[in-house]
Amino acid sequence: MSKPLLTLLAAACALALPALAHSRQVTLTAQLKNYGGDGAYLAAYLTDAKGAYVRTLWVAGGKAKYHKHLSDWSRLSAGDAKRLDGVSGASVGAGRALKVTAELADALIDAGYEIRIDAAAEDMRDSPLEIRVPLSAANAGKPQAGKQYIQSLTFQLE
Amino acid sequence: MGWKAIHRWLGLTIGTLAVVLGISGAILAVDPVQQAWQAPAAPDGLPVATLVERVTRTVTGAEEIRHLPSGAIVVFSFDGDQPQASYVDPADGRVLGAWQPSALPRWVKNLHRSLLLGDAGRWVAAGTALAMGLICVSALVLLLRRMGGWQRLAARVRGSLAQRIHVVAGRVVLAVLCLSSLTALTMSASTLGLVALDAGPEPDVASAVPAVSALSGLSALSALSAANGPTGQMALPSAQLVLLKSLTVQDLRKLNFPAAADPKDTWKVATRQGQGWIDRYSGQTLAWQDATLAQRIDDWALVLHTGEGAWLWAVVLALVGASVLLFWLSGVVMWWQARRLAPHITGNCPLAQADVLIFVASEGGSTWGFAQTLQDALSQGGHRVHTSALEEFQTLAATQQVFVLAATYGEGQAPAHASHALEIIARLSPGATPVPVTVLGFGDRQFPAFCAFAQALEKTLRGQGWPALLPLECIHQQSGQQFARWGEALAQALGEGLVLAHVPRVPTTTALTLSVRQDYPGADGKGGKGGKGWQRGQTTAILRFTWPAQGLAARLRGHGLAHFDAGDLVGIVTPGSAVPRFYSLASGWQDGFLEICVRQTPGGLCSTHLMGLQPGDFVAAFIRTNPGFALPRTRRPVVLIGAGTGVAPLAGFIRRNDRHSPMHLYFGGRDPARDFFFGPEIQRWLGEGRLATLQTVFSRVPDGGGYVQDALRRDAERLRDWVTQGAIVRVCGGRAMAQGVAEALDVVLAPLQLSVSQLKAKERYAEDVF
Repeated sequence: MSKPLLTLLAAACALALPALAHSRQVTLTAQLKNYGGDGAYLAAYLTDAKGAYVRTLWVAGGKAKYHKHLSDWSRLSAGDAKRLDGVSGASVGAGRALKVTAELADALIDAGYEIRIDAAAEDMRDSPLEIRVPLSAANAGKPQAGKQYIQSLTFQLE
Repeated sequence: MGWKAIHRWLGLTIGTLAVVLGISGAILAVDPVQQAWQAPAAPDGLPVATLVERVTRTVTGAEEIRHLPSGAIVVFSFDGDQPQASYVDPADGRVLGAWQPSALPRWVKNLHRSLLLGDAGRWVAAGTALAMGLICVSALVLLLRRMGGWQRLAARVRGSLAQRIHVVAGRVVLAVLCLSSLTALTMSASTLGLVALDAGPEPDVASAVPAVSALSGLSALSALSAANGPTGQMALPSAQLVLLKSLTVQDLRKLNFPAAADPKDTWKVATRQGQGWIDRYSGQTLAWQDATLAQRIDDWALVLHTGEGAWLWAVVLALVGASVLLFWLSGVVMWWQARRLAPHITGNCPLAQADVLIFVASEGGSTWGFAQTLQDALSQGGHRVHTSALEEFQTLAATQQVFVLAATYGEGQAPAHASHALEIIARLSPGATPVPVTVLGFGDRQFPAFCAFAQALEKTLRGQGWPALLPLECIHQQSGQQFARWGEALAQALGEGLVLAHVPRVPTTTALTLSVRQDYPGADGKGGKGGKGWQRGQTTAILRFTWPAQGLAARLRGHGLAHFDAGDLVGIVTPGSAVPRFYSLASGWQDGFLEICVRQTPGGLCSTHLMGLQPGDFVAAFIRTNPGFALPRTRRPVVLIGAGTGVAPLAGFIRRNDRHSPMHLYFGGRDPARDFFFGPEIQRWLGEGRLATLQTVFSRVPDGGGYVQDALRRDAERLRDWVTQGAIVRVCGGRAMAQGVAEALDVVLAPLQLSVSQLKAKERYAEDVF
């Protein structure tokens, strides 16, 4: 079976089946630094224990022309035709915060899954893998710093 | 809507936005220029692999190498957890300094592309670019129309200061402005997502992590040790990556190193041609995507629009961007001038309700004044009157009377604005119950084609079956008395009391000061010896005037004396007369004085006034251009033929012949002692090479050579030579003389299968006749 299809299948299972059982709401808050540039493009996505793409949580920045600058996300999610469906919005200005929520299956918590964010801003340096945070109950509520753009990333589980 | 209307209204409205975009664009051009200064270019043919090797030696934790359009190499790295960006010398990998994306604040760029209004602003900016494109296209059409075709595009521009700025600058930058608009649209299309640039989704590639190999022992020697995977497998040094060896830095855009933390990550390289992914262990090229056509077009558009990587072009773009302000300002002034000069009819009734329609064809604008007088008189009599330009000719249900007031331009042509009026009228049918259409012509009996256009209108109207209330009447020299008499006839025909008391409008004049006058005694020869009074009075004088200093603002607004060239006309308004008299100018604005040659005509109000002037006296004057007669810039031979005071504009041409084009003057007078106007100057110009040859003939002295046409016949051989070389001919003098010259030249040119009328059609032959 081809890899994108496998990924898709994995994603479908991860999303659909556990959702039937039980799901929790995750709230991501990414506070950006004052990096002195235009609005940042951010892609928050979930990878599994092997580093494989699972699903996109949010993409900030609507111009497809620039999505290739979120290079890890762009490459990993290439097989996911619905990667932008209902989970995209405006780019995030320097010093501003992005707050998004997502429904995640209980089974994903403390199972080696990671939240990753790619970031980029125009005429500035791309930052694939700006930040990666293991999706564990222990990490919830603990702010983590990103490499270039993100001052702190916090996720809350409900 | 015509091109002119499109150009004017787009320019006046969206032009304001274009100014913002133009100025901000000009500022943005600073970046490419500044970057060009600080960028050491990569040596030709430097393989990317070598560059990577050098960079990894000097920069720790390198993540990305960018080859900027300016040619500079920038390396992005992490020093611990501190992101770094530095310029690197590609020759040795030396770090040159910290990189900064732009010397300008971000808002300039955002102002330029979105007017600081986000996505909505991007659409507005794209719309402005589209409008700018339309403005450019219409500008080209209008420019060609104004200059008279592609061949004459480089000819001298005439008109007010604002017009000349607009047209001259437009000639220079139009193509670049057009290109900028087009590239702006291309860039907008991709940014706004109307065009997809990417070659489909990126391939899902990963480096194949090998089993632990014996090679790992060498890792300490490897320059890439930092990039080794966390499991300790050996990554291949960049020098062994086949793709990177084959690519040169010239083509490189961006190279991403495989991430240290991700053993499966790959090299990713982007070039002008496309992008590729390389296995970090095997060095194999995992995938390659060619750049799409859309991407290549977008790349080109980016260079052409921003001047990135081409600093000279950026300078051009900056100047062109700034010129938008110049166009807008001069355009606003032109529009304002046109509004001021446009015929302004007061008390106009809407067309559909009017029972009397007046249609006007006017060259200088004076006929509109007569129309206003007629309109006022008829309105007072209880009519509802609508006045408009002749090209609007039509009749409606409410129409009961139509009047056409038509001036004639040049040799019997229609005034420019009404050039298609005859065709329009010839296509119209008067219908079952035709209303009377009465034609009133305006002209000057001095011209053989007196009221020729009015006559053509009369003929066409009658041919189409329109009746007339009054027969065609032709008003000579804007005569108010004649107009009043026509009004009496009209009143009788209408059976109404109607008085046409016309007060003509005079163009805005400037007070010129006489500085020098040079008098010639009576040209008749008898004048000096106590002859009859009118004979003694028939003297001639060359009058030189100066004009008052004019500020730039006044000149931009079209106030003050307009710019003029030799061959243009100056209108002199004599106190007590509303009708200006025109004289050919013997000097141009550049000469710094205004010179005319005036002959006393018996009983002539204006010439008497001028001849009576003493240095320091004032005269009210205005400029009227004479575009058909003015001399184009040329290196071809110029044959100048003049008699008497007709030499004046020709002298002006020679005076300004700084390029020493071969000019040949045929001058005809009566007596060299009395009427060789400009004689000493002409001799001087001959010595200076401004004039190539001079032939003078004098009809009243023995062996004087006869008339100027006799000289032409004698010189037939040379004249044919010059005409074969493309000579331009200018004739100035009395009507009989011009007629004689044309006849003589027709005979001279017959062996060449050429005639004066053919030369006229090619705009190589023009007359200024009085």
